[in-house]
Amino acid sequence: MDLAMAMADVDRRNQMSTNPMTEPASSVETRRVAPSHGLESPLIAPAVSKRKRRSGRGETGLIERLKAGDERALEAIFNLYSRKLYNVALRILGESADAEEIVQDVFWTAFLKAKTFRGASQISTWLYRLTVNAALGRLRRNRKGKEVDYEEYLPKFQPDGHHLVRPVIDWSDTLDEKYADHETQRLLANAIDQLKPLDRSVVVLSDVEGLSDKEIAAALDLTVSAVKTRLHRARLFLRGKLAAHFGHSPA
Amino acid sequence: MRTRKATRALTNRTCKQMADLIYAYLNNSLNPDVKKDFEQHLQICPDCVSFLNTYRKTVEVTRAVRAREIPADVRKNILAFLRKPKRRVGT
Repeated sequence: MDLAMAMADVDRRNQMSTNPMTEPASSVETRRVAPSHGLESPLIAPAVSKRKRRSGRGETGLIERLKAGDERALEAIFNLYSRKLYNVALRILGESADAEEIVQDVFWTAFLKAKTFRGASQISTWLYRLTVNAALGRLRRNRKGKEVDYEEYLPKFQPDGHHLVRPVIDWSDTLDEKYADHETQRLLANAIDQLKPLDRSVVVLSDVEGLSDKEIAAALDLTVSAVKTRLHRARLFLRGKLAAHFGHSPA
Repeated sequence: MRTRKATRALTNRTCKQMADLIYAYLNNSLNPDVKKDFEQHLQICPDCVSFLNTYRKTVEVTRAVRAREIPADVRKNILAFLRKPKRRVGT
């Protein structure tokens, strides 16, 4: 897989990570690996920098109270996370009624299973994991395997490595101008819906919710390298859909 | 615009490799040498500048897609449900 190989190249050169990139994501994504500390450096590109998230301070006390059966702690956690989890469920499922049920079930499960919560992970990671698993489980039950072929919308290259279609058009300003249009927003929302469920989950947790690759890996039980690979490919697909929308080639 | 031959002669990376490196570039996780290659390529390849700009803008707008408030009635329903856990445990 070219992308995985390229990312492996990045890691080898950086010599910062214990490995994860050295195998194709498809073969390693179901097992966990040690965190790749070197890849968690602060972002400098403003356009894609992760938003600042909660520190997790104060969560320990809430969990202890929840473990003791304190319903007010459950409500406090609900107030902190319900909006985020609702949005994650809504984006993965696309149905508001389903999202409501998922969120209700997640908080109910959190109350019942608080005693099994291990302090090693943040409660947010645990809640995201419960939400995504519930949403993906519901999708598996309700939907027939409608696989979308990304290939048409991914960039293509000449044998010598140049873009297949040149010049590559820079439509980023057009997207800025058109994004206010309902049509463009709907197109992007539809494109996200066309992603494979697990890829959609990664995109929602990363680009919509602002979780780090490491947090997403923990929430979805993927390796960090699998998260990167899925996220990059999904972004390329979304980019290709937008390019087509503006009348250009994915290049 | 420079010819393909000139582009290849002046950069250590192909456009295909550039596309694969974008994720790490935007995460600022490229090794300095690779980052230098990446930015050198950008200096001479308008195609890759366009590709990078549109990739970055795609991520930006994806972030703006969903920031929906949980509807008040949904919130009320769930809270009402959660406030009766003891009754539920026995059912």
